[in-house]
Amino acid sequence: MADTQALQNVLRDEGRLPRVPDPGVVVIFGASGDLTSRKLVPALYELASERKLPMEFAIVGISRTEMSHEEFREKLRGTLEEHVSGGVSDDVWESFSSGIFYLAGDSKEPETYGELKDFLRDVDSERGTRGNRAFYLSASPSLFSTIVENLGEAGMNEGEDGGWSRLVVEKPFGRDLGSARDLNEEIRRHFDEAQIYRIDHYLGKETVQNIMALRFANGIFEPIWNQHYVDHVQITVAEDIGVGTRGAFYEEAGALRDIVQNHVMQVLCLTAMEPPVAFDAESVREEKVKVLKAVRPIPEDEVEDYAVRGQYTSGWIWGEEVRGYREEEEVDQDSVTETYVALRLFVDNWRWAGVPFFLRAGKRMPKKATEIAIQFHSSPHTPFAHQDTEGLEPNVLVVRVQPEEGVSLKIGAKVPGAGFEVSSVNMDLLYGTAFLEQAPDAYQRLLLDLMLGDPTLFIRADEAEGAWGILDPVMRRWAEGKKVEFYPAGTWGPEEADGLLKRDGREWRRP
Amino acid sequence: MIGETRKSPGNGPMSVSEIEHELGKLRANDDGTLALRSSVLNLIVVTDEESAPEVTRSVSNLAGRYPARAIVLISDPDDPNPNVDAQLSAFCNVRGGGGAQVCAEQVTIHAEGPPAGHLESLAGPLLIPDLPVFLWYPGAFSPHSPEFAAMSDLADRVILDSAAREDREDSLREIAALVGRGGGPAVGDLQWVGLSPWRSLLADAFGSPERAGDLEKIASAEVLYAPGGECRALLLVGWLASSLGWNPKGLERDGGHRRVEFDGPSGSVAVELSPDSPDARLRRVRLRSPEHTFQVSRHREHREVKTTVMRGEELVAERTVHLGHFDLGVLVGEELQFRGRDETYEAALRTAVEVIDL
Repeated sequence: MADTQALQNVLRDEGRLPRVPDPGVVVIFGASGDLTSRKLVPALYELASERKLPMEFAIVGISRTEMSHEEFREKLRGTLEEHVSGGVSDDVWESFSSGIFYLAGDSKEPETYGELKDFLRDVDSERGTRGNRAFYLSASPSLFSTIVENLGEAGMNEGEDGGWSRLVVEKPFGRDLGSARDLNEEIRRHFDEAQIYRIDHYLGKETVQNIMALRFANGIFEPIWNQHYVDHVQITVAEDIGVGTRGAFYEEAGALRDIVQNHVMQVLCLTAMEPPVAFDAESVREEKVKVLKAVRPIPEDEVEDYAVRGQYTSGWIWGEEVRGYREEEEVDQDSVTETYVALRLFVDNWRWAGVPFFLRAGKRMPKKATEIAIQFHSSPHTPFAHQDTEGLEPNVLVVRVQPEEGVSLKIGAKVPGAGFEVSSVNMDLLYGTAFLEQAPDAYQRLLLDLMLGDPTLFIRADEAEGAWGILDPVMRRWAEGKKVEFYPAGTWGPEEADGLLKRDGREWRRP
Repeated sequence: MIGETRKSPGNGPMSVSEIEHELGKLRANDDGTLALRSSVLNLIVVTDEESAPEVTRSVSNLAGRYPARAIVLISDPDDPNPNVDAQLSAFCNVRGGGGAQVCAEQVTIHAEGPPAGHLESLAGPLLIPDLPVFLWYPGAFSPHSPEFAAMSDLADRVILDSAAREDREDSLREIAALVGRGGGPAVGDLQWVGLSPWRSLLADAFGSPERAGDLEKIASAEVLYAPGGECRALLLVGWLASSLGWNPKGLERDGGHRRVEFDGPSGSVAVELSPDSPDARLRRVRLRSPEHTFQVSRHREHREVKTTVMRGEELVAERTVHLGHFDLGVLVGEELQFRGRDETYEAALRTAVEVIDL
């Protein structure tokens, strides 16, 4: 094997040509679902079209609906144009889709897996995919354990003939700490951690990865990135949209499970983590887990001091009147499901001792915005007269993830004129705009990493559990209570959330 | 994409500080705010009056992906009247959502008469410090001239186009001599950049371990190219030979047609390079081992390219993908991404020159 690899690399000019993964098959469970036609297949099509996938590649979709290969291909082709940025070429599609297959089967039935195994062998010999398989669980979460168990029983937790076998688990990874642990345990009965790729598409976003680039590729930020200089940190993940047609799903989930446990906690980790020794899967994820472990547990009887849950009522967004959450489709009229969460957390380690981290995430906020604001201490002494410094505020470094990726630094500057009046000005650097090259879609990035066998941007088991562990007391407390704070759509959340900061004389920024 | 191009009303003879001042003013928005300057590199372009409009268009397209201080030097050494005048413009992004605006700048300098022989004295002072300098000659160039030497002293990387001159073989020889001299800036060739997708596709064709062994056993190859693609074809053969350990042994010419004999690891390798229709610079590359035929070919009017692997008459593998775009801006952009010397290119170039010198 090593010899043939070396031979293959003779023409592979790694300096300038993109790295191409091993031959392999992506098997999608829940293939008739939305994610397959909206994200997975478009992302794979674009990767293939841009010559980033090997020639020996195939997709096998599985779900219960009866369909022929051809019907499955036509179904995917029908919506492909809407979901790829570069347009679809008939010739490329014809070539790509000749490697798309469909298998109708009930993922609860062991026979399905026998059929699948035989089918994959046929695909191997027909397409040259060499026994390498990635199983993508895009089915209902309630089926995850069953699928994994059946894959294991059928021996598909190992690739054929020395090939590899990888498992992709879509979120949610459980509903709480207990169920996440159970799920992880069930999966690991059949797959090793190194084979498991838990996907949080947020980490596939270029802008989110740039947080690490900003922190660890620049020498000037790290020395001040600690409790000596930082007063507090605010992390905001705001959406302007409501729950739309996902009312039924959202009633079950709520913002804490839908956004906070995964996206917000990931941003917290990237903001607070120590520099990893290397940008590889274990080094990076190890540092992230350390942050989660260092987060001070929230006492269940004091949840009100640390967390606020909110729900939007009707209001106005961008000139349009929108209805309240309880009026949304498939939402209970007395629902207490949170569409907004604010948290006050402490990361009890040397770097962050005593620095509060204020996190908030919500729907129906005035605009879509994701940002990390590092608020520094005020200057210890100002030599300027008091009346001259009224416009002066502490320095704030804002890392904006979206909409316009960039960094801004608020600094004090002299107002032109006689005397010495100083005021805060915002220095805004849009590093996102510095390179207008179109960033690849998050799924493209992650699917390519999956095929290449690089799990750095995927979630490890202890990361998922660590994040649930922090939120568990809040979820338990909220499950008992019937109280939710209201905020009109188009505002930055309920007044009670301001209270989390006010007690220390701080306030939320307007992103 | 770039939203607007702003042009400075002032042009004509200007001092360096006047140019910097005017560039600053170009960034001022109507409402009194100041757009930011974004730059990841300096790009010096040396061109002539005739090609200037196309070059400027490519430079403005590049501004989106590689915001730069672009210095376009339009040189006319034959004009009897010495003259230097400058035109300034900025390419700014569309401003949306109340965010700040970002601009990339272009300084266009017409140099006529003797100053055209000292372009380095014009480009040098306008470079932004601390950023790499790329020097691009879209047209013909003469690496032996003192002007070229003075300009390349300013640069970290020189981007040439071996197909820009009528005599393609000479052009390759001169670039090879420049690369061989060492000590100078790294050299890139747009004809080589245009080969990247082809190289990638050929590598993919041998991606399956069963077929990787065939690389050692290639017995013959054919390359079909359009007249404009001669350099690409030669570089492609140079690359195959230098990567696969083929040593050039003999060359036969028959009009535009070349037949090259190599000593390969498993015996002799016969390579044919033949001019073809002018639609695509490269039309088809075909490699044969005793067992398989590997072919990458482009359909005349299409952007797609098809790879096939045959065992005798049996089709073993087949794939169609996009070849990608090849306009000037894209090719130069690829070069701007790359820093340092490209050793694979240098080896391919050396071998290509060995072949034409046989």
